Amino acid sequence: MAKKYVEPEEFTTLELMAVCGSKQIKNGEVVFIGTGLPLIAAMLAKKTHAPGAKIVYEAGFIDSNAKDIALSIADSRLGYHAAGAIGLIETLGLMLQGGHVDLGFVGAAQIDEYGNINTTYIGSFEKPVVRLPGSGGGNDIISSAKRVVVIMMHEKRKMVKKLDYLTSPGFLDGPGARERTGLLGGGPSLVVTNLCQMDFDPKTKRIRLATVHPGVSVQQVVDNSGFDLIIPQNVPTTELPTYEELELLRAIDPKGIYIPRSK
Amino acid sequence: MQCLVEVPVEDKRISLKEAVKLVPDGSHIFWGGFGFQRPPMAFAHELVRQNKRNMTIYTCGSEMDIDILSGAKVVSRFELAFFAIEGIGLVPNIQRRIKEGAIEIEDYSNLAMALRFLGGALGVPFMPLKSMLGTDLLAKSRFRSKKAHTMDCPFTGEKVVLVPSVRPDFSIVHVSRVDKEGNAQIDGIRGEDIEGARAGKKLIVMAEEIVDTEFIRAQPDQTVIPNIYVSHVVECPWGSYPMMVYNYYDYDMEHVRMYYDQCKTEEGWQKYCEEYIMAFNDYKELLQKVGIERLLKLKAKKPLAY
Repeated sequence: MAKKYVEPEEFTTLELMAVCGSKQIKNGEVVFIGTGLPLIAAMLAKKTHAPGAKIVYEAGFIDSNAKDIALSIADSRLGYHAAGAIGLIETLGLMLQGGHVDLGFVGAAQIDEYGNINTTYIGSFEKPVVRLPGSGGGNDIISSAKRVVVIMMHEKRKMVKKLDYLTSPGFLDGPGARERTGLLGGGPSLVVTNLCQMDFDPKTKRIRLATVHPGVSVQQVVDNSGFDLIIPQNVPTTELPTYEELELLRAIDPKGIYIPRSK
Repeated sequence: MQCLVEVPVEDKRISLKEAVKLVPDGSHIFWGGFGFQRPPMAFAHELVRQNKRNMTIYTCGSEMDIDILSGAKVVSRFELAFFAIEGIGLVPNIQRRIKEGAIEIEDYSNLAMALRFLGGALGVPFMPLKSMLGTDLLAKSRFRSKKAHTMDCPFTGEKVVLVPSVRPDFSIVHVSRVDKEGNAQIDGIRGEDIEGARAGKKLIVMAEEIVDTEFIRAQPDQTVIPNIYVSHVVECPWGSYPMMVYNYYDYDMEHVRMYYDQCKTEEGWQKYCEEYIMAFNDYKELLQKVGIERLLKLKAKKPLAY
């Protein structure tokens, strides 16, 4: 049966981002999730193509099947029908560093062209303008998960040539750097923003435009990026959400906690 | 209940006030709870009321509890991985105190902090891990002369990061239930509390309820902190309000949001501190102000844990 796609005016950008994130989760995978959009994306994946995905939250909830929206990664809601409730050494240590995590989701205040991430300071380290939350488990996840999806807003001040602070390692300064440094995981595989999806060129390890969201031009992406991203000859439009996905998404977050209904 | 075996049981119970009095200015403290789950909020309030100063706090990720300690200038240094008020925004008081130079932060990752507590508890000086490599977490330090160290493994040659173990003066954790001897059980996730509790030279266990020793000994497999580690026990129902305790109560987001909005300014924080902390003699008075109706609404609705 052919998929029935929703017209672009019927969904919001955040809804599209959640669907994009959800598609990265494969059935049966062990997936590290934080709060916000990734949480919604994971809940959607479990209700659609990946019912067997094992969702793990670093605070200790393992193989969670939450039915209510959690505000904190330590939220008791995440314990609903979970397989285990343990702790950090278990999740970030034994499970993640031990090599059992297929995919992780992280956010970013700044990202550079090699997918390195800042979640600590805006401004200089000596005299910061804003103190952000810090690494949390972000550094651990992007160090050791096999793949990592970054979800963030696309603005020039966020897509930067040089980070104010390097909290979590992407491909560092290019090909071979992760291996030389001793990092275990595969590094970032996809960046999902409000304008587009970007992957990484296998040769140079630099960010490469993969798809643009409906109504967004390649030029718009370029104008909102502070570094030169690789632009292939053909840049397809991001696959639209289906009616089923959108309906499920709205049922998952009925109060619009992470995805407000209006544009 | 009839005791089947006669064993001497030490009574380690003290009041919250007495417990906080034991922690002198300038102490190094492991701070328990993770995110919204089981923060020692009542302990934070009492530290503020007793006008404590110059503390160094070690934790993985904490939120409104350590923001209160920062607003009231109880803490001057943190070694941690994360703070925010999740689902709402950045921590307002810490933000301000950093700008004033009143607070310094040494940043690690969550796994690094958890391992530092495990190292302290194990009595070894450092722990190796595979995070932090290649980043500013490794390259930049705020006040530690030696924050972390990279080396090649002497057995395999593989690159590892060594992080220094932590043995703070006190560990403070808030648990689900404990007996008077200090055998503690935690429902739900434990964050880094298992390791952190054992890292401190003295351990103060706060609990939602104190239960009979027989109750603990009838289900010893549920005990996650045995009495051997515990110095003092403090009964503290609703001790994490307005945050949450698994199987006991949900968070009060209305209160948390009010706190966040109000603390965007120094005046707003001072007003909050006066109205919700300093105005009271102890934590129970805060619960009275919140009111029984609101608290009952937050009570966990079985079989849910929230």
